[in-house]
Amino acid sequence: MGKKAYIIGSGCISPQNSTDPNYFFETVNGPDTDHFNAVEPSYKEHINPNMLRRMGRAIKMGASAARMAVTEAGVENVDAIISGTGLGCFEDSEKFLLAIINNDEQFLTPTSFIQSTHNTVGSQVALIMQCKQYNYTYVHRGFSFDSCVMDALMSIEEGKKNILIGGIEEHTPIYIELYRKAKKLNADNSHKYYEGKTKGMQMGEGSAFFVVSDEKKNAVSAIEGIGVAYKPESTEEFTEKLNSFLKSKNTDLGKTDLVLFGISGDKDHDKYLLETLPLASKNSATGYFKHLCGDHHTAGSFAMWLANKIIEKQRIPDAVKINAVPKEKINSVLIINGYIGINYSFTLLTKC
Amino acid sequence: MISAIGNNVQEAYVNLSNAKSGIGKVNYLTTRYKDEYVLGEVKLSNEQLMDLIGDHSPALNRTSLLGIAAAKEALKHSGIDLKDGMRTGLISSTTVAGMCKTELFYGEMVSDGKHLEVLDAHDCGESTEEIADHLGVKDFVTTISTACSSAANAVMLGCRMIKHGMLDRAIVGGVDSLSKFTFNGFNTLMILDKEWCKPFDENRKGLNLGEAGAFIVIESEAALKKRKGKALAKVIGYANSNDAYHQTASSPDGIGATTAIKQALEMSGLSPAQIDYINMHGTGTPNNDQSESKATVNVFGNAIPKFSSTKAYTGHTLAAAAGVEAVISVLSLQNNKIFPNLNFTTPISEFGLVPVTKVTDATINNVLSNSFGFGGNCSSLVLSKV
Repeated sequence: MGKKAYIIGSGCISPQNSTDPNYFFETVNGPDTDHFNAVEPSYKEHINPNMLRRMGRAIKMGASAARMAVTEAGVENVDAIISGTGLGCFEDSEKFLLAIINNDEQFLTPTSFIQSTHNTVGSQVALIMQCKQYNYTYVHRGFSFDSCVMDALMSIEEGKKNILIGGIEEHTPIYIELYRKAKKLNADNSHKYYEGKTKGMQMGEGSAFFVVSDEKKNAVSAIEGIGVAYKPESTEEFTEKLNSFLKSKNTDLGKTDLVLFGISGDKDHDKYLLETLPLASKNSATGYFKHLCGDHHTAGSFAMWLANKIIEKQRIPDAVKINAVPKEKINSVLIINGYIGINYSFTLLTKC
Repeated sequence: MISAIGNNVQEAYVNLSNAKSGIGKVNYLTTRYKDEYVLGEVKLSNEQLMDLIGDHSPALNRTSLLGIAAAKEALKHSGIDLKDGMRTGLISSTTVAGMCKTELFYGEMVSDGKHLEVLDAHDCGESTEEIADHLGVKDFVTTISTACSSAANAVMLGCRMIKHGMLDRAIVGGVDSLSKFTFNGFNTLMILDKEWCKPFDENRKGLNLGEAGAFIVIESEAALKKRKGKALAKVIGYANSNDAYHQTASSPDGIGATTAIKQALEMSGLSPAQIDYINMHGTGTPNNDQSESKATVNVFGNAIPKFSSTKAYTGHTLAAAAGVEAVISVLSLQNNKIFPNLNFTTPISEFGLVPVTKVTDATINNVLSNSFGFGGNCSSLVLSKV
């Protein structure tokens, strides 16, 4: 595939103050010991209050981020809405599930069941925008948002003009507690993730949406392509997948100005990324992002928002930097993301 | 395919040809309502499913087991060797995913911190990865969840990825097992019929839930020729649109459905008159069958092709439904046979449409298969003879 997807609008709700258009990591919110909570905006600025009342948190975050992206893009409507979420509307799923368990399948109301469906965010966005076009929801762990990006690139190749893509993830206090009990969370905040000294993730949540277009318009960056690696069995296999992706885009690791790593703080899950880091750090500036958004299925959507911002500002925030390789210009950003050591993706963005 | 009408495609074909429904009394799902409702259960316990696939790993839940059983059969039937250097993807779909097991343990997980390993298998991607790992698919995996249209969208994505040269072939479909969660969800929506469902009948009361795993293997013409394989059918049209009307209901005008059918037909290059049979979504709910009838009239006018819903055989298998119906559509094409719409007596007065009610021999060259879901998701596929 040869065509690019130009990012013409974005919106991001995350544990940082990313909804403030002027924010660029001057201050950084750390984790609440072992997890991150999203900083939620005043939703009524983005969603009709009548609809808002019935919405779960994931829907509010997703619909607001989508609205921000569409507003920034300045488009009337879109030709496709493609959403990604690993857990879907988990709060509503949990609510309905606990009602079943606690009341022995009696006295149930349908609201939380209706909202628990994984495609709820995508369909609510379609309802709000009255968009009767192509509407997909990908629900595959770390590939959920990557699949959206891949689909958008195919859709543009097929002739679609403006496409809304986004990732949404929410957690609940009970879900965090279960992860804690299962010893999957990391509460040791005395090390940087990339030092590879800790075990466990710091769970995060949030939503980032983008309007991508077949035309440059006022875009600051373009998605050149995306590659994936499913359960690579060795560093060699991982590296081969990465290099073959870069080759297909006529570039290599050394030619990329900035490489953003989805290092999670779990040294086992991060193995391939930690091994790639020194190679990338030779010639490229390197950075990381999960200490800002937390680890979750669609953290890659936050990374794309970050990459697009960095290209726009032509500056890497200190909070993101790993190495000190200076770059006068940031023309290309490669995101190397991983999810719990099984789903990896490579996304290349270039400056317009 | 594994469903209420059989543990493989051959068993399903025999039951379809004998107008024998798989919907009946509840034997496997744990629910306080088990004596009040009928369901389309796969007639095997989890233990028996493990025997069938030859893996007794405790991590496997019913959704994964059904998916593995069905996908293994599909791959074997295709005669494809995954180690031949071609790129193969697995595109699955599910709505229930690991909830079938989470719901049994969540209480104890929360109160006592027990069974925490169940967490790892809760999400939708897990069943897909179990299937991929059992088959040995490495090149690409993803999962789609667009409610009851999911598997049709998996077929569509597979076709597109092959067209774009990203894959040489794809195993596409869906899987959903029965769970208390979905059963109670549909029950609170009051769209379940306690008796056998009656799609397209004036007096229809609702749907029967079912469970299934159903996959088809699609391949590029070049890859098929290279290995000297033989295709069973061709996917010649597909489309996806959104009703943007209501979170759970379809619009009375059938707008989304009409668009999906029209666009799928347009891509196929066929005129409406060339469709020999429509496998309808036909869930048996008042809302779906009204909306789908309207869409059918919108597209076909007075010349409605022969049609039936096969939901009264299998129950509504949600994310797997379009996979089940793709397999049934292929059986229709291969055998020149229409499998009937069971339990029908009285046409819906607004439309007067009468489905095929007996097993019928007819020349079937082209089939339209519809799938619509919550969230306004509407998808149609056009399959044709090779």
